[in-house]
Amino acid sequence: MNAVDLQNIYLAYRGKPALNNVSLCVPSGSLLGIFGHNGAGKTTLLKVINGLLRPARGSVCVLGRRLNNESFTEIRKQTAYVPQNIKVDPRMPITAFDVVMMGRFGKIGLLKQPNTRDINAATTAMELLEVLHLADRLYGEISGGEQQRISIARAIAQEPSLLLLDEPTNSIDWEFRSRLGKIIEKIHSERALTTIIVSHEADFLADVCDSIAVMDKGRILGTWAREEFVREYSQSRMS
Amino acid sequence: MDMLRDQFMQNAVLATLFAGISCALIGVLVVTMRLSFIGVCMSHSAFAGALLGLVIGWNPLATAMLFSLAAAGALGPIADRGEFDPDTAMGVVFSSSLGLSFLLLALVPGPKTEALSLLWGSILTVTRTNLLLMAGVALGILVLLKLFYKEIEAVMFSRELALACGVPATAVFYGLLVASGLAITTSLSAIGGLLVFSLVINPAAAAYQIARNLKNMFLLAVTFGILSGWVGLALSCILNLPTGALIIVVSSIIFITATVFSPKKKKLQASIVEAGKTENG
Repeated sequence: MNAVDLQNIYLAYRGKPALNNVSLCVPSGSLLGIFGHNGAGKTTLLKVINGLLRPARGSVCVLGRRLNNESFTEIRKQTAYVPQNIKVDPRMPITAFDVVMMGRFGKIGLLKQPNTRDINAATTAMELLEVLHLADRLYGEISGGEQQRISIARAIAQEPSLLLLDEPTNSIDWEFRSRLGKIIEKIHSERALTTIIVSHEADFLADVCDSIAVMDKGRILGTWAREEFVREYSQSRMS
Repeated sequence: MDMLRDQFMQNAVLATLFAGISCALIGVLVVTMRLSFIGVCMSHSAFAGALLGLVIGWNPLATAMLFSLAAAGALGPIADRGEFDPDTAMGVVFSSSLGLSFLLLALVPGPKTEALSLLWGSILTVTRTNLLLMAGVALGILVLLKLFYKEIEAVMFSRELALACGVPATAVFYGLLVASGLAITTSLSAIGGLLVFSLVINPAAAAYQIARNLKNMFLLAVTFGILSGWVGLALSCILNLPTGALIIVVSSIIFITATVFSPKKKKLQASIVEAGKTENG
């Protein structure tokens, strides 16, 4: 079964196509990278999969259900999305732990309070991302890299079936970057997730992903297995 | 203390209590979500609506509520869609409602006392009905906050992320706008159309400088809101000056004090210096 099935997606911003006739099938359990330079349409594609943007044309099926007004909320509860960055005022009175816990809110549902299981899920996710020591710090006060790790922990705490990561290495220091790749691989395999990582860092995608789709100017140019991608990418860098 | 024996004074004390609670609570939402200008537009639209009520002989509170909710209905999508600069759109709504207000002020038949009291507020003439409405709205907002606290917290942090994990963020956002409209409208006759917004912003902005979690921010904002109301009311009796204006002066002093002594400001400055040292070293 495909976790994501996009057919002929067209989406434009102010008349300029951001996704132009994009079709993409992501089998359940796969770890797919989407590589492309700035403005290629990668973030837009992730937002279409999560239902945050609605295409003008084409069909979107996620986790076996067609995305529409009825299915949006249920699908989103199973889909965790990590954006590139979240702009927050440094004085915003919300702690790092609060942010991670927010990942659980959709699943907890209306009129219910977080219980021990929710607190444990948030704590485990923070431990996994090595950010438990930041739990009581204000989210706005911590560094960009730490914020990024908190955002990923938030997504892990959600216990999703589909994990969407938009430029997860943003602001992450080099030392933690390779560990982050290992953490993503570990979560992906242990929790039997389908994971899609969008990045402009070819090396990171080649390290982590099983296959990599390349985007340019709102189109998918093709999808390659990791080894093929490395070969193609090194050749294109040489030429 | 003798003054408190009078019915009108008891009403005034209760009105400042209820306005302090409801305005401060929605103030926390407006300040953290950076919707200050939406609040300004809504309070001025409510004022224009109340004046229209006086001109056409309808209940000013009802027309104020209609105008305020209409402004919320118009401004929500503007903030939502970002099709054009929200600041520009809100600037147009703000100046239009202010222009309409002054036009309607000129059209109010007979003496303008009631119309002007909507402008400056008249806390000593608050009626029992007004008081009940203010209490109902304050209680309603408290109940909503208790029931949907986690959803409101998620929307305040990031509407997009709240939506992304299955929180009904759009419904919560519009609910907050409606609650803001109701709080502003019911406080209009007591605090005044031009001043009510300060009671929304100042206590919450002061609490924002101090609180390190959202629950404390709500608590501090409500405390500052009630304190501003009661101290302003007391000063108004002692100095024989307009109550609404003094409430705002007190709330502004609280805000300035909180900003000057903000522990977050010191921490922020320290972390900037630390970051600078790391970069240079």
